[in-house]
Amino acid sequence: MTCVSPKVGHHASLNATPKSLWASLDLRSEDAPTLSGSTGAGCRLHVLVRLNVLLWPVGRQTVSLAPMPPLRLVLKNLFKHKIRALLTVGSIAVALFLLCVLRSLVVSLDAGVRASAINRLIVQSSVSLFVYLPESYEAKLRQVDGVENVCRWNWFGGIYQEPKNFFGQFATDADTLLDCYPEITIIDGSNETFQKERTSCLIGKGLVDRFGFAVGDTIPIIPTIFQRRDGRAWEFKVAGIYESSKPNVDQSTLFFHDAYLDRALESGDAEGPRGAGLYVLKTRAGADHTAMMSEIDALYENGPQRVQTTTEAEFQAQFVSMIGNVPLFVGSIGSGVMLAILLAAINTMLMAAREQTRDVGVLKALGFTDGRVFGVLMIQSLLLCGIGGLIGVGFAKAMEPLFVQFLGTMFPGYAVTNDVMLAGLLVTLGTGLFAGIVPALNAKNLPVIQALRATA
Amino acid sequence: MALVPFSYNTRSLFVRRSATLLTVLGVGATVAVLSGVLALQQGFETLFSKSGHDDIIVFLRPGSTSEGDSIFTLERVQTMMKTLPDFALNEAGHPLVSGESYLAVRRFKLDGGETNVPVRGVQPMSFEVVGDALRMREGRRMTPGTDEVMVGRKLTDRVQNCQLGDVIQFNTTPFRVVGIFEHDGPYASEIWGDRDRMAEALERPVFNRVVAKLKPTTDLAEFKTRMESDPQVPSKVMTEREYLMSQTEMLSGVLKGLGYFLAFIMGIAAVFTATNTMLAALAARTHEIGILLALGFRPLAIFVSFMFEALLLGLIGGLVGCLLTLPIGGVDTGTMNFQTFTEVAFAFRVTPEVLITAVTFSLILGLLGGAWPALRAATMRPTRAMRRE
Repeated sequence: MTCVSPKVGHHASLNATPKSLWASLDLRSEDAPTLSGSTGAGCRLHVLVRLNVLLWPVGRQTVSLAPMPPLRLVLKNLFKHKIRALLTVGSIAVALFLLCVLRSLVVSLDAGVRASAINRLIVQSSVSLFVYLPESYEAKLRQVDGVENVCRWNWFGGIYQEPKNFFGQFATDADTLLDCYPEITIIDGSNETFQKERTSCLIGKGLVDRFGFAVGDTIPIIPTIFQRRDGRAWEFKVAGIYESSKPNVDQSTLFFHDAYLDRALESGDAEGPRGAGLYVLKTRAGADHTAMMSEIDALYENGPQRVQTTTEAEFQAQFVSMIGNVPLFVGSIGSGVMLAILLAAINTMLMAAREQTRDVGVLKALGFTDGRVFGVLMIQSLLLCGIGGLIGVGFAKAMEPLFVQFLGTMFPGYAVTNDVMLAGLLVTLGTGLFAGIVPALNAKNLPVIQALRATA
Repeated sequence: MALVPFSYNTRSLFVRRSATLLTVLGVGATVAVLSGVLALQQGFETLFSKSGHDDIIVFLRPGSTSEGDSIFTLERVQTMMKTLPDFALNEAGHPLVSGESYLAVRRFKLDGGETNVPVRGVQPMSFEVVGDALRMREGRRMTPGTDEVMVGRKLTDRVQNCQLGDVIQFNTTPFRVVGIFEHDGPYASEIWGDRDRMAEALERPVFNRVVAKLKPTTDLAEFKTRMESDPQVPSKVMTEREYLMSQTEMLSGVLKGLGYFLAFIMGIAAVFTATNTMLAALAARTHEIGILLALGFRPLAIFVSFMFEALLLGLIGGLVGCLLTLPIGGVDTGTMNFQTFTEVAFAFRVTPEVLITAVTFSLILGLLGGAWPALRAATMRPTRAMRRE
């Protein structure tokens, strides 16, 4: 790359500049015309001297061949008003951060559906989530062709210390849980201890992060459904800590023995509904799920409790559907945010373009084609939004662990995925294009003389 | 101290109308998001808090937080009805007390997907306890002891099989819809049927709560403590208003938190935009500020002038935001009440509180966005300012 300055006058395209314009300019170079005197020349001179320095990437050849806008000019223009650039980048970053977070929340609602295992079926009451299925169903389910293993899940619904500490607790079949859920791995303690000790429990690593529980601790849970005769809290000793490799199993759940609950209910030490909330069926490879689902549903067609058998994905989707309008709300909020950033970006670009009107005239006078002038303004807009967008998206990603900690119970599986980040950057790009187009077009179509006459 | 005429600012906003418009819309969008979420929260909370009565008493099992996890056996409910002397009597001399069952059942929505609808099994006395709050809109009340149900008005256009004459199946038993009722509170999202028939159909022989009216002479505070340690049927006693308010805590908290979180984040962006606009306005008028200072206007007057302009910008933005929010007022929506895991329908409510909060917020945005540019304007040297074009 050669520098245009100081031999501006020899430049091929500059020679096409009207002579009258040169007459008002003093370029202070050896072989360029050294004329001055008209009013405002000092200022224009200043602009041109600055341009000489700025135009370094523009070689003689590149001017006419490649319409690449001079990057350094773009950057200098962009940060001429540092505060304005910072504020704009800041507001775009904030907005993109928010958009990514909102989008991630909506995506996380479906995370469980997408991660669902294909070899599990769920048997639940067709009447209500709160109706318990008889314990006698288990033996019959085991005989259904294609069923390899069965695991019972019972919602316990207790409270740890106070309601805001909400997390799920399930009474489950300790012997079959890990076989049915191979995505669960024990990272501390052991499954053997859990299976051996009837009052022990497995807890997710999310609970360790939130409450600092460790293996060997006893967790008191105040019951809401299964009241104890002695009026005290239930106590579960931590035998192991699990981690799930997929978002269909919540990382903040406490699993304990259904036998512990059953015996307390049988002996009268506690009272509450008997039965199973759900039966999870692990199926054999190649099992015909459609046939199995209709077979099981038909088994209890005439009661005592009708069941509905679904794939795990359908089961998860049912909960998403029950949450109702949440995605719609979040979507509306997202469009509000989008509108706000778009307006902010357009505002800045209009202001920037207004100030650069005279520069545009000078650039055109120097022989910049309309297309390249367009490019200079467009790239400014894209860069401004791009920097803001990158910061916002990056910040959303960086804050991910914090959000997981605070929203984990309501939005298990919250993650700023690559898709979300890509979408965020595309929004940024779109905003940049949209905000830049009007000022860039204006600049492109502006007659040279009119542009030069403009006052900042 | 002579103030710079306010028309100077209003005209300035008008002259720079494209920047003004964009800033106003930006602030407006921010304010609209805040007031939209608050209108949702108000609608939800009003549904519960305004429809509760202080003279209706709700009994739950101690330790439970809602009727979803409260249980009373038949014997306990009968004991309560027979032994407690505190219930008010109706004209026929019967105590105004009724046991109810409550279950969230899975139903299909008209537009696809599933939802949880509360089904309440009631005893004949329930109607006397609830009184005029329940109004029949179509058809008639269900007849006690039969397989008939009546459906809340808010369900008819959201959930399948909820029109007059439809048949709703619970487990293996079909129930016929004989009436549609209206209620200002959450009952309008429920299905009501006979308690004993529901218990049989759903295989749930238990009661979930007891509602009653007490004798006017009853000391409620004393009654509450007495019932907590009642040897036969210990129970948690609340007025219906208290009970319904307690049902909104979780979602109301989430919505308020969400609203202010969004407002805070979007507010930062809006303040940045407002600052930008004010700085541009300042840059274009540097020369004029020099003249104003030279004319003898005090720096404080210049500061006040620019602050006024920023506040005006914020205020117009706030009003635009309010205008954007107003149309959603009264629009029906539904949301999951996490306390009972059922969907409850209500309308957005753009209350005066919402609007006041929105306008205050927009003024704060203007204040924050204008403070620094105004300070810069006020601290300019007249000679230097005037030298600028």
